[in-house]
Amino acid sequence: MNGSNALVLAIPSKGRLQEKSNAFFAGHGFAIHQPRGERTYRGTIADLPEAEVAFLSAGEIAGQLAAGNVHLGVTGRDLVEETIDDWAARVELVTPLGFGFADVVVAVPEAWVDVETMADLDDVAADFRRRHGRRLKVATKYFNLTRRFFSGHGVADYLIVESLGATEGTPASGAADLIVDITTTGSTLKANGLKVLADGVILKSEAHLVGSLVAPWSDEARAALDAFAAKIGTGKAAAGFEALAKKLTRKRD
Amino acid sequence: MESPIDRLRGVLAAAGYDFIEPPVLHDADIFLDLAGEDLRRRMYLTASAEGLELCLRPDYTIPVALHHLTAGGDPRRVAAYAYCGPVFRQRPGETGEFWQAGVESIGRTDRADADADVLALAMAALGSVGIDRPTVRIGDQSLFDALLDALPVPDLWRRRLARAFGDTQRLHELIEEMAGRSARPRLGPIAARHGGFPPTISDVREQVARLFAAGGIPEVGGRTVAEIAERYFEHTALTAGSPESLDAARILTRFLAISGPPDRAALALGELAASETPAMAAAIGAFAERTHGFVRQGIDIDGIHFAANFGRRLDYYTGFIFELSDPSRGDGRPLAGGGRYDRLLSLIRARNGTADDVPAVGFALWLDRMGVLAR
Repeated sequence: MNGSNALVLAIPSKGRLQEKSNAFFAGHGFAIHQPRGERTYRGTIADLPEAEVAFLSAGEIAGQLAAGNVHLGVTGRDLVEETIDDWAARVELVTPLGFGFADVVVAVPEAWVDVETMADLDDVAADFRRRHGRRLKVATKYFNLTRRFFSGHGVADYLIVESLGATEGTPASGAADLIVDITTTGSTLKANGLKVLADGVILKSEAHLVGSLVAPWSDEARAALDAFAAKIGTGKAAAGFEALAKKLTRKRD
Repeated sequence: MESPIDRLRGVLAAAGYDFIEPPVLHDADIFLDLAGEDLRRRMYLTASAEGLELCLRPDYTIPVALHHLTAGGDPRRVAAYAYCGPVFRQRPGETGEFWQAGVESIGRTDRADADADVLALAMAALGSVGIDRPTVRIGDQSLFDALLDALPVPDLWRRRLARAFGDTQRLHELIEEMAGRSARPRLGPIAARHGGFPPTISDVREQVARLFAAGGIPEVGGRTVAEIAERYFEHTALTAGSPESLDAARILTRFLAISGPPDRAALALGELAASETPAMAAAIGAFAERTHGFVRQGIDIDGIHFAANFGRRLDYYTGFIFELSDPSRGDGRPLAGGGRYDRLLSLIRARNGTADDVPAVGFALWLDRMGVLAR
């Protein structure tokens, strides 16, 4: 390996996100080499000795970027905004990658024919507490996105119930009244008798190349970043690389 | 020599308040129930071995109210509590553990005088540590509530506006919407059983029940078919931009713009009531009585800034609120915050049934911002 000064690029360690990430970098002339097959967690990039690759679970990458343990990473915008406190100060969304699309949405039972907007939900939430003696329960794994979005719409009378899987089933099981979850086509929501509110799209998420503003950027790592920028940072992606470079330079001065 | 914190404790004790020290660790449920999800992200949460969610107290008001209720006796009995100790909140850029001192005056039915006494005491407390001329901001939710009651607007609007009080931007948007000056989404149509006729309540109920069944969503414990149908009709009957709602929007806008020293604000409120909403007279009378209380306490009322749109978005606050800040501090953060929360004790008791409101007013001092060392 290249020692501790190398740029560390974090790539999802399995599934379609890994395939698409590998294809993205290979397509820009950075073939990712994973020695000893798929069970290794460190890799290299051909012709770029200043960089090494860390294969991490998609959920972990945002946290490692925020902690400064990796310099660049591929992760969903939803995870960046959800899991990183004050994310804009700690990471830079360099460029969207054109895969991993998912919307984070507010969905309520279709039977709630009187609820189509967040304003309706606000009415119902306040009224619900008065009628039923408890707050509405929202099942989600997106605590922070939910709180920010609900608070932005003035909705206060609710409680979050943590749900780490099969969130769309919680209204049917009675564990929650409504949900905040990711959806790609909406068909899973529909199959569970749920509908998305008209103004209930919290975030249109997509996989991004994300840069850490708090990682230790050695000269070697900056050289690797320049190499990525030269081939990936063309067209629309140029601005993101420039913004990252500018912030890193400002930090060092 | 006496430390600033001892002087401060002395001021509160001399005013007749008894110091108590409620627990630091509490059942989180009651805080979340009273203050909502928004508070959760600012609390320090932990769990008991049995899985009960616990929190470090984020303030003293609820712990003191719990102390008052569990000490036995009539909840409406007169009591005066003071406190001084650590509270715990996640605060970006500030420490999570910090000290507050303050008082809670419970049970006094002479509300106007009690409000004035508490404001005067908060000012004296700041004075005891050398902050002599704080900026004083006051508001009064009961004026807004009285105005809403007097306006001929549908209940659904009344409830929306009441919830938004304290959030100037949101209130403005709602008023624009009510006046028909911004687009309002319509609810989706519901098919009537007999084509061409508007749906009846039984059409709506039928459709709601069918959708619940199709989604496999139980009605038990959640929203019922009846309440959904009822709100559907309430919503479709809403009209925006009617002469009544335009009028209400105009009066609300005029009310919310009222500000200034309380004596002059009372005149402006009186003029508004005389020409538009005579039913507000009682609330304005109480406001004027409180202002007399300020004068009796020797407070310079020209130095008080009242704003009709100043409110706190917690539903147990019911009337007078205030904030004191130090004009020489750049960040404008309050050093003291207080107000009347007549609904808090009844909301706590209502968890086991229903209960009447209990008069209560108090304030908290941010000792770290005041530059008073805790120990």
